[in-house]
Amino acid sequence: MNDCERTQENIGRWFDDELNRAESERIRVHVESCTACRAAQQRMEKIDQALHGVLAAEAAQVEFTSFWRGVERRINERRPWHREWLDRVIGVPRSAWAVPAVIALLLALLSLDSYFPAWRGGVTRSGFAAVNSIDAHGRSVALLRENETKTTVIWLYDDQEGEDETAEEAPKAGPAF
Amino acid sequence: MEPSDWELVQKCQAGEMSAFQELVSRYHQKVYVVILGLLRNREDALEVSQETFFRAFRKIGGFQGQSSFYTWIYRIAVNLAIDAQRRQKRNPLDFRESMDGLLESHDEVARDPFADVHDRELRENLISAINSLTPEHKAVIVLRTIEGLSYKDIGEILGCSEGTVMSRLHYARKKLQDKLSSFL
Repeated sequence: MNDCERTQENIGRWFDDELNRAESERIRVHVESCTACRAAQQRMEKIDQALHGVLAAEAAQVEFTSFWRGVERRINERRPWHREWLDRVIGVPRSAWAVPAVIALLLALLSLDSYFPAWRGGVTRSGFAAVNSIDAHGRSVALLRENETKTTVIWLYDDQEGEDETAEEAPKAGPAF
Repeated sequence: MEPSDWELVQKCQAGEMSAFQELVSRYHQKVYVVILGLLRNREDALEVSQETFFRAFRKIGGFQGQSSFYTWIYRIAVNLAIDAQRRQKRNPLDFRESMDGLLESHDEVARDPFADVHDRELRENLISAINSLTPEHKAVIVLRTIEGLSYKDIGEILGCSEGTVMSRLHYARKKLQDKLSSFL
């Protein structure tokens, strides 16, 4: 790996001041003498400045008194129980496997009759359940239909596949590539 | 001497509302700007920012200071913003209107007309480029660029490793540079 490749690989960390002193100094010296690497540094600077320019000016316009009033109103407002409950449910981290797992569980429950005919008082049923469609790309729909009881479960969900992260408090985000 | 965040948190836990007000005063703009970076809609960003502090108020009794207050509050903010963003995606028209508003307000203060055109194009394309990023990539770029947080703090806020922060930043910057190549 030549000096330029090594620099390009670490230029972001250098720009963010996340390198040790020796490596940081090496990159600084290289960037000063290399047109291509200097251009890369300038591109990063320009994007940072533009983003900063747009957002920092916006932040300055947020006046504290009115902001605090909004927070205070929320604090003093007694929320209905279902809203509280919903907040808690929504607050639970969701995972990519949660939707298929729930569907599998539903299927397993519906097919219990076939394996354990006596579990509901010995009534034998010829139930048939099927997952009609699953689209795993973007906003997806799973349709579970059970003919015997004429039960249809429509499941709307966002695709949750993403980078492999298992941290406890990872944001409840669905990837939206 | 100003009390530290942790001292204010302890006062909040003892029931002092003024201490919480002081924390809101310290962080409301920072939280707002991070959320605005993720949502790009003023009204939504304001709502989500206020909701962030409301949630913090409710949970502050359980905050034990294992992380700093700002990483904790940013974590709540980013989670709420990402949720709001998913809802926002279902209303792309409203979203577009609010983005235009964001651009117009900055044109008012522009001076040089040539720089203005170039800057406007850059901002417009920057916004569109940022919107093409996933919430996770958007979050790292905003927390790093706007707040100047370290990889360690960003990792703590987003619940991922420093290595993941680094790779997301690398990807996000590359994507932004590719999309904005004609303006850089």
